[in-house]
Amino acid sequence: MAITAASPNPLRAGLDSNRIADPCNIVFFGASGDLTKRMLIPAMYNLRLGDVLPTNYGIVGFSRSEKSDDAFRDEMKSAVDTFSRTGEARDPMWSDFASRLTYVSGSFDDPDAFRRLRERLDANDEQLGTAGNRLYYLSTPPGVFATIVQQLAAAGLGPRDRERGWSRIIIEKPFGTDLESARALQAEVNAVFEERQVYRIDHYLGKEPVQDIMALRFANVMFEPIWNRRYVDCVQITAAETVGVEGRGGYYEQAGALKDMIQNHVVNLLALVAMEPPISPNADHIRDEKFKVLSALRPIREEDVAKLTARGQYGPGLIDGKPVAGYREEPSVDPQSTTETYACVKFFIDNWRWADVPFYLRSGKRLARKHSEIAVRFRGIPHRIFGETGDQIENNTLVMKIQPDEGVSIRFNAKIPGQKMHIRGVTMDFNYGPGFGVVSAPAYERLIADAMRGDATLFTRWDAVERAWEAVVPIMNRWAESRVVDFPNYLAGSQGPQSADALLVADGREWRRI
Amino acid sequence: MHVDSVSDTKAILEQLRQSRLAVAVDHKANPAASAAMLNFLVFVDDPTHREWVLERAARVANKHPSRLIVLDSTSTISGVDITTVVLDSGDSVLLSERVDIGVATTGHAAIISLVQELSVPDIPLVLWWSGGRLLASRTFSGLTQGATTVLLDSSGKVRGEEAIRELGEFLTRFPNVALQDLAFLRLAPWQDMIAQFFDDPALREDLFSLTALEIESGSAAEALYLAGWLGSRLSWEIAGREAFRDRSGRTIPFTKIDKGDQRRVASVVLRAGEATYRAALSAEDSNVVELSVDGPKARPIKYAPLRNIDNTSLIERAIIENRRDPIFETSLLTVRDLLG
Repeated sequence: MAITAASPNPLRAGLDSNRIADPCNIVFFGASGDLTKRMLIPAMYNLRLGDVLPTNYGIVGFSRSEKSDDAFRDEMKSAVDTFSRTGEARDPMWSDFASRLTYVSGSFDDPDAFRRLRERLDANDEQLGTAGNRLYYLSTPPGVFATIVQQLAAAGLGPRDRERGWSRIIIEKPFGTDLESARALQAEVNAVFEERQVYRIDHYLGKEPVQDIMALRFANVMFEPIWNRRYVDCVQITAAETVGVEGRGGYYEQAGALKDMIQNHVVNLLALVAMEPPISPNADHIRDEKFKVLSALRPIREEDVAKLTARGQYGPGLIDGKPVAGYREEPSVDPQSTTETYACVKFFIDNWRWADVPFYLRSGKRLARKHSEIAVRFRGIPHRIFGETGDQIENNTLVMKIQPDEGVSIRFNAKIPGQKMHIRGVTMDFNYGPGFGVVSAPAYERLIADAMRGDATLFTRWDAVERAWEAVVPIMNRWAESRVVDFPNYLAGSQGPQSADALLVADGREWRRI
Repeated sequence: MHVDSVSDTKAILEQLRQSRLAVAVDHKANPAASAAMLNFLVFVDDPTHREWVLERAARVANKHPSRLIVLDSTSTISGVDITTVVLDSGDSVLLSERVDIGVATTGHAAIISLVQELSVPDIPLVLWWSGGRLLASRTFSGLTQGATTVLLDSSGKVRGEEAIRELGEFLTRFPNVALQDLAFLRLAPWQDMIAQFFDDPALREDLFSLTALEIESGSAAEALYLAGWLGSRLSWEIAGREAFRDRSGRTIPFTKIDKGDQRRVASVVLRAGEATYRAALSAEDSNVVELSVDGPKARPIKYAPLRNIDNTSLIERAIIENRRDPIFETSLLTVRDLLG
């Protein structure tokens, strides 16, 4: 067999970095923003330290503010020193990394700025050997996503305009503010990029425990036979936070818990836990299965919204023993705001596996604990043979813990030692951290590296985004129409509004404690 | 807690139970919740090396819930010492157990029987062998039979070409046991850097027309393993003790230079016609490697973090892998053939 430049590198076999990315340039739009400083550049630097980046790479920051390459490098050095998980940047690694950083200033609708961006990227191809490959990262406010995509195309930076190299685009959430705007944005994006070139990032999906869900389900045989309506009573998915809106009151007023969390993060968790086994770990095979599950979500009719959902808004209360303000007292929040900071929804999945099994999804801010988990509650035993003792025999529950603890616990019943047959619920707990003795890399590092390698497994495909919007639109509509009279309806630091409890009580169930 | 007799397994197991109970009560934990992930068996017979080995073993065991069984053949202790420690694991309380056994005067059959009694069934048993002899030791062979993974360092206590030859035989004798050599594991950053040169498609072809290989290293095992790895990845044949032959029949001289700190590679030079690929420790910072390509396809010098992995992390890595590594095994067999 003839050996050519196209032959794979045989030295990569078996190495940790056997999926090293192609040489490429990464352009961060919104490079002066908080996300770039806190997450993206520290993530890039750590990928460099971990030797995950290709040998030939360039990083270009693009933003409105005027600054020189050197000023940008100084800013990013300070960002890495402050926010990197590996501590302060040190030479010679930092100087090597900084030499790849450049900056282009300009407005997102300025064709001249995009012309300068193109010149910079072409120069990097020549000087850094980045081979014409480009990854664009939109970490800007969503309102300018479409404009940037249009300008990329106009400047000849879109994939179809160029003769060599690949082009990919990472788009931060939210992808649209409702179904209509999401479809409009998709049309704009799709006019320039093919779907396989679009990476819609949901950092939640890059978290290690979320990936562990797939391993738990599809690398073990014992769960699959009972992972269905015959044995599962209900599934509860919780994403609870203790923080408030953290200075993002302006954004949150337009979003609310339903759009900010349920429509993307929590619905994605539902898809992972409910989907059929994919035929391979290939990105599209996994995303096909997720799409099928989301397509099977029973549409919620607007007239059923009141009985299938609940919403809340926090008032003043205590978090960790310290008083915190209510939502309406937060900066940039309307004192009469009706934006929900808590949302819960009861979904059904109309397919053979899950028919009539309720999936209860909830997410809220300023709750009692920071706590995310998926709890699969199994049906009760069919016949009690230990009935005489009067013991409470609990339903078995399997809990996939996402944060802050990452692990799996199983709740089952056991006999209390002694002469009498007393039964009690006990918990078997596995924590990933101590279990494997390793700390997982932050989600952004994993996701950026995946996008550079062209692995879209952990990114959301358009059809799934569209289905997720379709699932929540009736709720959004109904909530927009109906007047809220009881906000704020839960105390900061509590378990959430009573209306959420009532939703489950009506079904003869109760929420797991946060 | 202490038991005088190493052969009184009943008393040792009872003391283990008592130790676990006492610690669990102190921490308001369930004494039954000692979720051991592995049996970690450590054999040490060199008093000068003992502290080094035991400190690292304890670090690993304190991170991974395990039953650590130390077979101490240095005459430093007699009898059996038992301790239980609480691992830091967030909300949960996990217990890890340690049994130190003085085996300087204990026969191999008794040692093997003792280990069988004390090991937690149905979980992996990792043997870290820090003894002076390998296959010639009946204790080593006996313990290996019950192990899932055997870990050693051919650049440490068991050194030299003879050790590598024996490890070649190990693969034949124990086909179901995963063998891990720290000397090979610590080469990972160098393998990655060498691979990096040829990630560039324009340089890829040079990989298949290499004409010379030079490795500077403070110990022989690392240099030999790196050469063996490169040779096996590129399907080279052996052409004497200091040369390979590639698929086109070209002879590739291999020069091994003894230079630098022990267990550390100092530089690797690959030549392909007029091109020279060099990865060498930076004079400015020994944790950084300078990568250069000279000749017709010259590239600017680049810097890469060496990411020298400490021994404890290497041990962890071997434990987590817990499977045979075909890349290591083919590299080892190539070195064995090279040594003749």
